[in-house]
Amino acid sequence: MTTPFWFVVLALVAYAVAYWGYGKWFDRNIWKPDPNRTTPAHMYTDGVEYFPVSRYVLWGYQFKRVAALGPVLGPFIAIQFGWAPALVWLILGNFFIGWVQDYSSIMVSVRNQGRSFGPITYEFTGNAGRNTLLGFILFYLLIISATFIFLVANFLNVFPGSFIATAGILGTGILAGQLIYKRRASIVTVTVLSLVLMIVSFALGTIPALQWKAPFGAWNLAFWAALTCVFLWLASVLPLPTLIQPVNYISFFPTFAAIVLILIGALITPATGVALAQPAWLGFWGTAGNPLWPILFVAIACGAISGWHSLVGSSTTSKQLDVETDAHPVGAGAMLSEGLLGLASLACYMVLSIERIRELGNASVASWVFGAKVLTGPYLGPIIGEAGMTIYFSVVLIIFAITVQALVTRFWRLVSAEVFGESILAQKHVSTFIGLAIPWLFAVSGAWNNLWLYFGGSNQLLAGLALMLITIHLARVREMTQYTLYPATFMIVTTLAALLWQIRVFYRAASAGPEKTLVVGVLKQYGAIANALDWVFVFVGVALFVLGLIMAARTYMAYSQAMRGQIPQPQPAAGDD
Amino acid sequence: MIFRPKKPEAGEGSPEARGPGGATRAGFGTMLKGVLYGMASHGNVTAALRTRMHLEHLFMFITLGDMLGIPVLPPYYSLRILPYAVPNVESWKQRVFRERDFTDAIY
Repeated sequence: MTTPFWFVVLALVAYAVAYWGYGKWFDRNIWKPDPNRTTPAHMYTDGVEYFPVSRYVLWGYQFKRVAALGPVLGPFIAIQFGWAPALVWLILGNFFIGWVQDYSSIMVSVRNQGRSFGPITYEFTGNAGRNTLLGFILFYLLIISATFIFLVANFLNVFPGSFIATAGILGTGILAGQLIYKRRASIVTVTVLSLVLMIVSFALGTIPALQWKAPFGAWNLAFWAALTCVFLWLASVLPLPTLIQPVNYISFFPTFAAIVLILIGALITPATGVALAQPAWLGFWGTAGNPLWPILFVAIACGAISGWHSLVGSSTTSKQLDVETDAHPVGAGAMLSEGLLGLASLACYMVLSIERIRELGNASVASWVFGAKVLTGPYLGPIIGEAGMTIYFSVVLIIFAITVQALVTRFWRLVSAEVFGESILAQKHVSTFIGLAIPWLFAVSGAWNNLWLYFGGSNQLLAGLALMLITIHLARVREMTQYTLYPATFMIVTTLAALLWQIRVFYRAASAGPEKTLVVGVLKQYGAIANALDWVFVFVGVALFVLGLIMAARTYMAYSQAMRGQIPQPQPAAGDD
Repeated sequence: MIFRPKKPEAGEGSPEARGPGGATRAGFGTMLKGVLYGMASHGNVTAALRTRMHLEHLFMFITLGDMLGIPVLPPYYSLRILPYAVPNVESWKQRVFRERDFTDAIY
């Protein structure tokens, strides 16, 4: 029991039981999917948004969309309580809540003409409910952006060769896009060429002469964050086929390979002799003075449960589901697979000792890279060497963050257009600038540890709200609601408590003056700015808490109405044949 | 140029889509191909289709603006184009009139 192997196996068994045991039972008794019922993909086929797709394709699509930086970094924050609580939450959270939310989000959308969560929220909670959700998502996107921009900047800063390799990969993506869309080159040829160019990019990153370091001293992080924002601005305003699409396409290959390599590394630890180095339990208050409840449950978001998944599942996947019975392998299967990614990442942290992480200093946030090297080193090291592994895993980490963040920035622009209407704030360059400038400032504050908990809190709260929408639907169609109502209540209470805790943390720092600021890094020397940022974080937390609380209250009222039969049964859309 | 969406029968529409009540088994190769395509390309294909859809909307609007009471193009040219555009009117209306929300725009 001294290697990660047994814990990975334990989780695999638990996930298998969740899928084939609880999952099948849940399917039979709650949703009762009917393979002969026409899905929106067939009912509203338009060949663009609504068209039937095989479950294998949809599984791959859903997995790729939900598996990003969340399950990779969440366990790092969670190991402040030791690896055992993180492992238990990854297993039980996914077992009872995570896959239930993902699967049910798809099903609730399928049973409501393939509509996404915005219109469903409108139907159940009215215009005010939808507007509250819109406001909540706006703050949520700001926080995601701040944490991801900080992380990309930090990784670029601590791994000098990663910049040239990342730039090479982004350049390869742009070239691939031009070849595919402008020159109409064969996709196979472009893929092979891209793979070769990416390998060259990784190789360039290992050459010391090309490992460029930013020369701005204390402002290095701010510089890298600004450079990241420039890329994100381009990703937001340029057409999708020019930048985001081809970059996402080619970056799939190294990121997916990394997940497989780490899982293999964890599973062969009995042979390689890589042992556990982290303590299993570090107490209820952990090493950072945070309470295990509620902080653990927001520290690991994706991997256990994530609200973002409900948006993904109801926006695209549900519109392309071939038959209702495919929702289980697609929704539940993808979520449980993402749990494995969280588990692989946890394994990376389990094999690093506390002392080793402390030694890493500023690079400790990238502990995943060092853990991945420990796990895969015995079989990958002889092939690509120490420097090769460092560059490979660090760039994978950057790609994980930057590809998702590009979509988040674009989504911010679309939400801004919805919120600000005809105002100048809705103009694409203005809204993108605002959506990057505020997160840049937050990122440069360096308070990412605490902002991550805001991110986790708002993300998990979104999951709780999604579960409530699912519960309302089940109540109005007279199905059992306790299997989604209890998880929803747990998530809502837990996340609101976590947000309150974080507000308290920021408030104490803000009210104690600049000396006690949570801002670290270059802005700390400017006391007034640091203190003002603490107050801004208090405000952001309060906004998230209040909007989340209002939304929760509205969903519980709607649930009560649904139980009394006051919400009408779902009807086919007007004009349906 | 004009995008003419196909209405798939059961078992058509995408690789290995089965349609309601269709068969449920697939070989390992098919599964692997589907999963890799889904991970690497399906999102891009969908996004490309959406881009094309918006261009088609613009094209239909310019050529058949008269239908909405907006004389964007002289009627002579609209009439010349009409036979080519008619097959798309139904799906055009279906897509244009569909309720859309900001949560539809994530991917």
